[in-house]
Amino acid sequence: MIQFLERIDIEALINAVNETLYMTSISFVFSIFIGLFIGVLLYLTSSDGLYSNKIINKIMDMIINVLRAIPFAILIIILFDLATLLTGSMLGATAALPALIIAASPVYARMCVIAFIEVDKGTIEASKSMGSSNFEIIFKVLIPEASVALVSSASVLAISLISYTAIAGVIGSGGLGNYAYLYGFSRGNNAVLYTSTFLIVVIVFVVQFVSDYVIKKIDKR
Amino acid sequence: MIEFKNVYKTFKGKNDIHALNGVSLKIDDGLIYGVIGYSGAGKSTLVRIINQLENCSSGEVLIDGIDQSNLSGKQLRESRQKIGMIFQHFNLMWSRTVFENIEFPLEIAKVKKSERIKIVNELIAMVGLNGREFSYPSELSGGQKQRIGIARALANNPKILLCDEATSALDPETTDSILQLLQSINQKMNITIVMITHQMEVVQKICHKIAVMSDGKVVEVNTVKELFENPKHDVTKRFTQNLDGNVKIEQIKKELKDIYPFGQLLKLTFTGNTSSRPILAETIRQCKLDVSIVNSNITHSIEGPIGAMYVNMANGDATSYQQFIDMLKNEGVSVEIL
Repeated sequence: MIQFLERIDIEALINAVNETLYMTSISFVFSIFIGLFIGVLLYLTSSDGLYSNKIINKIMDMIINVLRAIPFAILIIILFDLATLLTGSMLGATAALPALIIAASPVYARMCVIAFIEVDKGTIEASKSMGSSNFEIIFKVLIPEASVALVSSASVLAISLISYTAIAGVIGSGGLGNYAYLYGFSRGNNAVLYTSTFLIVVIVFVVQFVSDYVIKKIDKR
Repeated sequence: MIEFKNVYKTFKGKNDIHALNGVSLKIDDGLIYGVIGYSGAGKSTLVRIINQLENCSSGEVLIDGIDQSNLSGKQLRESRQKIGMIFQHFNLMWSRTVFENIEFPLEIAKVKKSERIKIVNELIAMVGLNGREFSYPSELSGGQKQRIGIARALANNPKILLCDEATSALDPETTDSILQLLQSINQKMNITIVMITHQMEVVQKICHKIAVMSDGKVVEVNTVKELFENPKHDVTKRFTQNLDGNVKIEQIKKELKDIYPFGQLLKLTFTGNTSSRPILAETIRQCKLDVSIVNSNITHSIEGPIGAMYVNMANGDATSYQQFIDMLKNEGVSVEIL
């Protein structure tokens, strides 16, 4: 056991965990907001939405499909140029953020639309009948009534992001993925490989636990 | 007053649906106005045009003389705040408590928080939901949910209350309690109530006036009593006859003939103008006939008992039978010899 631990550079490991948490949380927050925004737009412009608009809806739909179709490993390579431009460096955790956000936002947008479609049409009609403006319908009815699905989708998104950061790590953006690949796999150090994997699993479990707890608190259906 | 002037509504699609085909109707203030029709008759569309959840394809809908279809977005939202609406499936927000659900329309109307609390508490007391303020709708029964719906619809002190099949998802007892609540609201707050339904027993209990709809048209408008006494349109006849409980009267007649070869089967129709005395009991006592009730379906309306009853007279002669019939007729019961 002690031998096993001796093969791990604790400082590097902690650093890797920090980087993973940093990449995941920042990209999570951004993709949630961007995704929610696009999701609302998609829902509003859909054929029976409040601002039905076929053209805008189709264009956004296509962009989302294209972005979702590109595998993340390829997307991040394509976006390295953009990252270099924005952060001045091709490596490091921050450089991975644009790719993570661009990959995750469309996914969350799509999940938001599904969540909104499931909101009872009657409830929306009722709030219309009480004289709500569209703005009030979105923020006082649509989002609160979809909250359970929005939170559970967010946890799926967070978990996907954790695995995305691992992929980004292999290409060189730091984090547990990078640590596992560079110090574990490349140097044949199994202790590092397994410890990194274990820590990623722990982070995923924590995310799932928090999400389950929040859903239990807010679900009054 | 709500006034429809030659209103048409067509839903465009692969096959156009003509939901309303020229409806003209006046609904006076303070009435409980029933709109009855089978599904697809256009009654849901009619009521949704009042608060512009649907706009009409042509024609005008006036509330107190103001054409609703020409209002700007802001004017329409203000107009809607003065028209409450309750729904078959209640359409409450599961994410809000009873209190917050009722508070919602007040938030929309930008009422101050302290004022909101006062109004909501009054409404909760009025619909009898004391103690359930902080429950969530999912914890309540159907009848209680509809009470939240009613309280919510009344929050902004509307002039009109629209009821879209408001009791169709409820059991008969709960339906009665909701109808009583609506009736007392109509009397206390002097609100015009427009209720659409496919259940005759619902409209006849509390409605002052009923419009019968069929194929997107209003085919007959009258008081409950008149509709029962002389239904003119086929659809009206079907609705009023349904109250007989679909009795297989020919079958019963045959069976009774075997038992009482000299008996006589009668159909007594009560149309509301009878007194509240026990007419039947008194008449039987005086005639000393053996009268048995074969089938009865009498319900109460605001104009008195309404419905039909089948009775069999036996052990009498032609004169005593005639006497019995005459006495009932004198009391305002219409008698049909079968």
